[in-house]
Amino acid sequence: MKKTLALLIALVMVVGLFAACGSSPAPAETKATEAPAATEAPATEAPATEAPAETTVELPRNETLYFAGQQWGTVNSWNVIGTNQNNSMAIAGNSGGYRTLMFETLYMFNFMDGSLRPLLADGDYAWNEDMTELTLAIKPAAHWSDGTPVTGADVVRTFDIGVQIGNNTGSGFGAYISGIEADGLNVTIKAALDENGNPVNPLKILDFLTGTPIAQAAWIDTVVARCGNDSVAILNDPGEDVVWSGPYTKYFSDDQKVVLIRDDNYWGQDASMWGKLPVPKYIAHVIYADNPAGETALKAGEVDVCQQFIGNIQNLWLNDGLPISTYYEEAPYGVCLTMPTAWYNMNVPVLAENVALRKAIAMAVDYDTIIANAMTNQSPSFADVPRSVMNPTAGEQALYDHDAVADLQWAGNDIEGAKKLLDDAGIVDSDGDGWREYNGEKISLNAVCPNGWTDWQASMEVVAAAGEKIGVEITTLYPEWSVYQTVFTNPSQTEYQIYMWSPDAASPSNPWQRVNQLMGKVFVGVENNWSGNWGQYVNDEADALIAKIPMTTDAEELKALYTELTKIYLTEVPSFSLMYRPSVFHAVNESVWTNFPSGDDGRNIPPADCTDGYGIAALYELELVG
Amino acid sequence: MKNTLRQVFHSSKFVVGFCIFAAILLTMIIYPLYNPGSPLEMIGVGTFAKPGTYVSLYDATKAPVETLRLSDADDKRIAASLSQDDRIAMVEWFTIMEIDVSDLDISDTDALLALWREHYDPSVKPKGMTMAKRNYYKRLNNALLELQGADTLIIADTDEETGALVEKSKITKTDYVNVSTVANVKVLPLGTDNFGRDVLKELVSATGTSILIGIIAGTVATLIGLTLGLLAGYVGGFVDDFIMFITNIFTVIPGFVLLILISYSLGQEQRGATVVAVVIGFTSWTWTARSVRSQVISLRNRDHVNLSKLSGHSLVRIVLTDILPYIASYVVMAFILQVSSGILAEAQLSLLGLGPKTTEVPTLGLMMNWAMLYSAHTNGSWWAYFPVILTIALISFSLNLMNTGLDQVFNPTLRD
Repeated sequence: MKKTLALLIALVMVVGLFAACGSSPAPAETKATEAPAATEAPATEAPATEAPAETTVELPRNETLYFAGQQWGTVNSWNVIGTNQNNSMAIAGNSGGYRTLMFETLYMFNFMDGSLRPLLADGDYAWNEDMTELTLAIKPAAHWSDGTPVTGADVVRTFDIGVQIGNNTGSGFGAYISGIEADGLNVTIKAALDENGNPVNPLKILDFLTGTPIAQAAWIDTVVARCGNDSVAILNDPGEDVVWSGPYTKYFSDDQKVVLIRDDNYWGQDASMWGKLPVPKYIAHVIYADNPAGETALKAGEVDVCQQFIGNIQNLWLNDGLPISTYYEEAPYGVCLTMPTAWYNMNVPVLAENVALRKAIAMAVDYDTIIANAMTNQSPSFADVPRSVMNPTAGEQALYDHDAVADLQWAGNDIEGAKKLLDDAGIVDSDGDGWREYNGEKISLNAVCPNGWTDWQASMEVVAAAGEKIGVEITTLYPEWSVYQTVFTNPSQTEYQIYMWSPDAASPSNPWQRVNQLMGKVFVGVENNWSGNWGQYVNDEADALIAKIPMTTDAEELKALYTELTKIYLTEVPSFSLMYRPSVFHAVNESVWTNFPSGDDGRNIPPADCTDGYGIAALYELELVG
Repeated sequence: MKNTLRQVFHSSKFVVGFCIFAAILLTMIIYPLYNPGSPLEMIGVGTFAKPGTYVSLYDATKAPVETLRLSDADDKRIAASLSQDDRIAMVEWFTIMEIDVSDLDISDTDALLALWREHYDPSVKPKGMTMAKRNYYKRLNNALLELQGADTLIIADTDEETGALVEKSKITKTDYVNVSTVANVKVLPLGTDNFGRDVLKELVSATGTSILIGIIAGTVATLIGLTLGLLAGYVGGFVDDFIMFITNIFTVIPGFVLLILISYSLGQEQRGATVVAVVIGFTSWTWTARSVRSQVISLRNRDHVNLSKLSGHSLVRIVLTDILPYIASYVVMAFILQVSSGILAEAQLSLLGLGPKTTEVPTLGLMMNWAMLYSAHTNGSWWAYFPVILTIALISFSLNLMNTGLDQVFNPTLRD
């Protein structure tokens, strides 16, 4: 009785609660965290990071281009010659091209056709006869944000300081460029020479042109002076007073978002460059907690350009009817530039000694499932683009003889073929436990990638499933990123046996750079190796061929070299590509802005988030909807 | 014993809980007989195929044909590729192209299509129209072209010698096949997950694993709790103080945090389903220990216990024969609750990515973990996670119901 009463009272209370809610005015709608309260900040020198915490900026929606998927934490530095920075919107060298919103390169790379378009440089560069010197001129119109002109001296100082303090410019190009000389606006880049007097690698000099942001010599001097010429201090300087040449500059930054504002004095409005200013006044990036948050914002129209992998992205327009599109309307939706690859650890004897085992696992993996599951078909299949050392772009695909290696390529899921290969190699299950043995010991491998990298994790699951089908035990392992990065870059580790990492995507030095990463001996044994050959594979024949490529200009000869290298790669299987993948994802929501680049618009602007390399051209042609 | 069981089965709560649990167990045993094979087999190539019946198109073209003249077939066909929204969008296009549509009946499909054929041009880019919208019109146009396609589809094969297409058969709009005559029909009652696995098959197998994890965790927790509780309660003194000291320490450390830390430090390599179960058991024994201890304290000065002591029986014997039987009903109830919380703990851990390694067996938590990683909750693939949540809810509901039922039977203060 007591209980019934209690129940009744509880019921009455609950009903009362609902009634109260119902009669009270509708609960205030959760406001978008965007931008309440106004503080009109001055147009140029902005409050930036020292803005008080309660300050919020209001950005007119129809003047702001919102991004997602680039910046994941508070911006810590604007120092373009430093290394301690996470500033993805202003200082980021992507494989598909340098992000030239604030700092500019000499040339812009267009991965659609492999071309180099002048930015700070005036017209084309020129090689001398034996490719030991490259000359170019700086555009007379180019000037810094403080009004002084950009000159050859800035290029020289940018390179010299890089070599001195060992930043990305120095460590990336110091070995290939012996020095840069300038005479006014003219710049001469001298290639480093090997013992025979030949340039070490002319391709890397082209990478320098598109991958190095030029900093102002006078500003560099200021930083050097204030840091007392101490390399570490210079690398870690926050660079708040940096001088820039690009169309945008810092405006606001905190742990919620980072905003760049257009510099209306930008030199590029000169007829010798763009002839106008970029359309959006503000470039804003809200700092989202994770991918789903960014995806939700894209769907809601709070983000215009999204650099995130979104599974089954076609459903956003097919099922949800959202004004979202990608570069191509049909799969693979974007332009794939790289191949996330599973590397075999050559420190593990069973893998190093058995080509058959390496090839059998690679043959048994069901790539169609990986591409359909992990990439939700945002990658061409290995039937469409047979495996080689090339990415799927037409330019690279034309660089090797497809018929010559056709017999070596495999499309995957060939369980019988893999089993036969293992049986023939004598790797059989002799004790009847269902798993194969080598030298009397059960083969037990792990397949590893960082935890939380969903598409890679799914790929490793598929690799493990393939192992089970051919009687080779493969278990998956997903360590945290902090652990993973220390182990897989260690040249003597045996902890991980099959593990994932991507070789280079696209730049003027590719596909040479990628081939070098897949089989180059130069990376073997390098401590803290972020550069290439993560499986420690050694093949002198391949190495000799790789060394020839940079100096080869004859198209036929080049093709023969690449074909030979592809043959070695597919025969020896030191690693195997799991899928093709864009270097940056590019999805746009056209709720506010339109006229984004697309595959069929004939403009040849790459899908590089409107920011990278020649992709920035899109910013000058955006239009408001309606 | 018989009497106790009869009593227990008179409790309606216990019976309901027992029936639900038994039904789950029966499904676990029977379903794999109907649908054998590995639950981790990736049968679908894409992600998240919808629940439903899948008919092999290849086999369907070879099945015997019946002709059915259905009066509404054409209407359905049109409705499938031309919705009301599409019709309105077509009119919008005409308006943008400045075509007079004042006397157009939007439901008149033929007239609409005729006008569309006349005026749609995929290469036109109206000012201010977004790429998304233009792409929509292109897709619509393709669907309409298909709608206007010939009445007969031709199945052709490539001639091995000449490479030319050779007609093999024709399919007309009135051709139907009986599903039972098609060689390959796959029913996926709960569709597939992100790996293309049959969700129902996986769910059934995962339920088994999760219940096993729950039982192992429950057994470990109950054994530890029971042993410590019995010792502390019966022996008392320093032993009691010491055991309670340890128990209190474990009580104030949040069990789940401890669980996360242990799982994390074990590393994924070591985390099989059994190990995870044992870890869960090791972090959730404290309240069993405390309750058993208080019960034992109330028992230890009973006459029969004192009599046993006087008779010189050993500690073990006294505890096992004179104390344990009196708290057995309580221990069983505690065990049931431990099983239930063990299942929940596994689900929570796996959701955080700290569960058992994924290649070996499916568990309920892992299924939710992968569904979440693939944003099943935001892309509308409810079948990948909702049945899992429902199963977890049903299992804990049935176990708790049984526990409440038992409580009513055994607890004198609640007995009717």
